[in-house]
Amino acid sequence: MSLLSFCQWLQETDVSVAIREGALLYPIIGGIHLLAIALFGGMVLASDVRLLGWGLRRESVTDLIGQLRIWKWVGGVLVVVTGLLLAWCEPIKLYHSKSFWIKMTLFACVGLHALIFRSSVYGSTVALDQSPAMPLRAKLAAALSLLLWAGLVFSGRLIAFDS
Amino acid sequence: MTVLRFMEWLGASPAANAMNGPEWAFPVVESLHFIGFAFLIGTIAIVDLRLLGLAMRRQPAGQLEAELAPWTLAGLAIMLITGPLMFSADAVTYYVNPSFRIKMACLVAAILYNFTLHRMAARSEKPGVAGILAACVSLLLWTSVLGAGRMIAFV
Repeated sequence: MSLLSFCQWLQETDVSVAIREGALLYPIIGGIHLLAIALFGGMVLASDVRLLGWGLRRESVTDLIGQLRIWKWVGGVLVVVTGLLLAWCEPIKLYHSKSFWIKMTLFACVGLHALIFRSSVYGSTVALDQSPAMPLRAKLAAALSLLLWAGLVFSGRLIAFDS
Repeated sequence: MTVLRFMEWLGASPAANAMNGPEWAFPVVESLHFIGFAFLIGTIAIVDLRLLGLAMRRQPAGQLEAELAPWTLAGLAIMLITGPLMFSADAVTYYVNPSFRIKMACLVAAILYNFTLHRMAARSEKPGVAGILAACVSLLLWTSVLGAGRMIAFV
């Protein structure tokens, strides 16, 4: 089965039809998606701003990243689950949308980012706190994480405007 | 000049023309709007989670609020620039949209609340129960702003 015929099959499923045609379901899922973007974005911003040395300097990196991690996950899981539901209701459109594929590419980059920086930055915050100056790799991780997050917002919003 | 007249004029203004010009203008400004509200609401949510005792429990809420304030304000500034730009693109339509009006009412309340009662609660010596209440009201207000904003396109 090709990807397109999979999308066609997906679009005919009951869930897809329900989200598409239920008057309130789509905006409610979209609203939760937005809330989760704000929650997730706030946590990403606070952690990255600290790593870049742009703010929250009275907090230790360990405290900030450690204590916000659970909420980053809550926001992240909510945004992905609602995003999948939104995608479920119009898979054929997404298949043809350039912005959607840019967004998926950025998601792959988020995975790469985690692979590269997880142990050396986010998993070794105690070492970062003890280091006299924030290492370049931590600042690089933070800058890239902010850029990736903004890229996901942009490409996601542009999907609605793709013809 | 009536308000509606003003909206008609605004909808034909240079800002509105720019927004309705190139195809990418509106989605790009709208994406910036999203980034702005994420900064604004996300940083406020951190203070609220602290007041609720659900995150950053080793830091006083007031210290967190003060440290996050520049980012909250940055978010507010982005929102207050991009919001009116989007509004100008189709002023009359927004002006008569009930969800838009609810959003504006909630927004004014949320902004006023955030920089008065909410800040006082966060910066008080022992926020306690008042802090929990302040956080709940704050989360409720900002959720209403977002929810009503989302509904603008659907009514």
